[in-house]
Amino acid sequence: MRYAYYPGCSLSSSGIEFHLSFQYVARALGIELVEVKDWVCCGASSAHATSHLLSIALPVLNLSHAEKEGFDRLIAPCLACLSRFKAANVEMKSNDPLRKKIHELFDYPYQGKVRVYHPLEVFLELGLDQIRARVKKKLKGLRVACYYGCVLTRPPKIAQFDDVENPQSMDSIIQALGGETIDWSYKTECCGVSMTLTFSDIVLKLSNEILREAKEGGASAIIVCCPLCQANLDGRQRQIEETYHARYGLPILYITQIMGLSFGAYPKEVGLEKLITSPKEVLGPLGLM
Amino acid sequence: MMNIVLSRDTLNLVHQLQRMTGENVMLCYQCKKCTLGCPSAYRMRMKPHELMRAIQLGQEEEIYWSGTIWICLSCETCNTRCPQGINILRVIDGLRERSKEVNYYNPYPVIPAFHRIFLSLVERFGRIYELGLAVLINLRMLSPFKDMDMAYPMFIRGKMKPLPHRSQGVKELQQVMERIRKLEESKLEN
Repeated sequence: MRYAYYPGCSLSSSGIEFHLSFQYVARALGIELVEVKDWVCCGASSAHATSHLLSIALPVLNLSHAEKEGFDRLIAPCLACLSRFKAANVEMKSNDPLRKKIHELFDYPYQGKVRVYHPLEVFLELGLDQIRARVKKKLKGLRVACYYGCVLTRPPKIAQFDDVENPQSMDSIIQALGGETIDWSYKTECCGVSMTLTFSDIVLKLSNEILREAKEGGASAIIVCCPLCQANLDGRQRQIEETYHARYGLPILYITQIMGLSFGAYPKEVGLEKLITSPKEVLGPLGLM
Repeated sequence: MMNIVLSRDTLNLVHQLQRMTGENVMLCYQCKKCTLGCPSAYRMRMKPHELMRAIQLGQEEEIYWSGTIWICLSCETCNTRCPQGINILRVIDGLRERSKEVNYYNPYPVIPAFHRIFLSLVERFGRIYELGLAVLINLRMLSPFKDMDMAYPMFIRGKMKPLPHRSQGVKELQQVMERIRKLEESKLEN
């Protein structure tokens, strides 16, 4: 299956290992990714806090590039991008005056034909059997917490994926790879990333709660599917430990990294060395790295 | 206690927000689900359900003075749980958009400043330049060395690029942003 691929700003820098590992897993599963030509930033949370028109126009600009190239499916791995793209598609379908305004802004009128997917949606559409068939190393003895972040499933009218309060997609993939997942209540709590450069105290408090709950639930790592959650939980873990006098040492891995390792990838191929909290202590004894 | 005089103008804010966002705030009956699920409510002087009530009562100045709209993390929990189906984030975004036109005190000017810096970098390079964004917002907050301990490990792992990357699509983007600016300016003049 061929998909237009919108990496977004994060996956080209702070989330580079998500990009690398997703490419690896996509190759292994026969998903063809073609990067959207001349893509630009989707505006993330700054555009919708400034101008509604702008917050729809930026995703539409990228979607129209994909549509012009003949794609009807687009993958956006970053949740901030994903939710803006999905919201733009819904607005273009249901809000007539806005659609007219948007069409006046562009030389090419976007027809709304491009459906937007998160990698998890694509994996589940392929089926767990396809994933199971490619497993070379089982995740035996690995117990993790799957953290989905705020807008993968919210709001359900726009996201239309998984259970809104208790999602299972990542859990089912980890289980298919032979690993164990914990049941916990912080799966979709916000990590506060939109304040990360401004009011960091909010971010430290919210991320601390997520790390604490995962640790208390008996997880030895947290699995994420968004570059912003990862940057927060991994990059700020030292600060959180200092602020809240705790010791977590939890590696924060992307779902595609753990899938890649299980499919037989070398650690470098899925960018494990890019993680700030080293997963060596957790994955080493299991023979995964 | 605050004295509120109800008049014909009390509903002006409700109507203006409805025109802007399509959301009817009068549907709110104060069940407080939004506030109970809100991850940053603990930091808000006016909680989300109080914000909804304040809109119903037309207390615009109090709303902007509280700064609540800038403490919201846009996580969409309130939208998801509202039994009346009000898109509360869309209402807050409407108030944020409106703040550019009205002139009320804002206790947290650094948040709209962040959005302005973010979008100006996007307009310049077509993509976000993370290091530049961090440096500029640190300067704006007069704390140039904030988060150096976080940036360093990312830097040595090649997760933070020293220089910005310019997208090939930036020309088209600049054109669109310019058109939007013109459109919104002409709307303000009328």
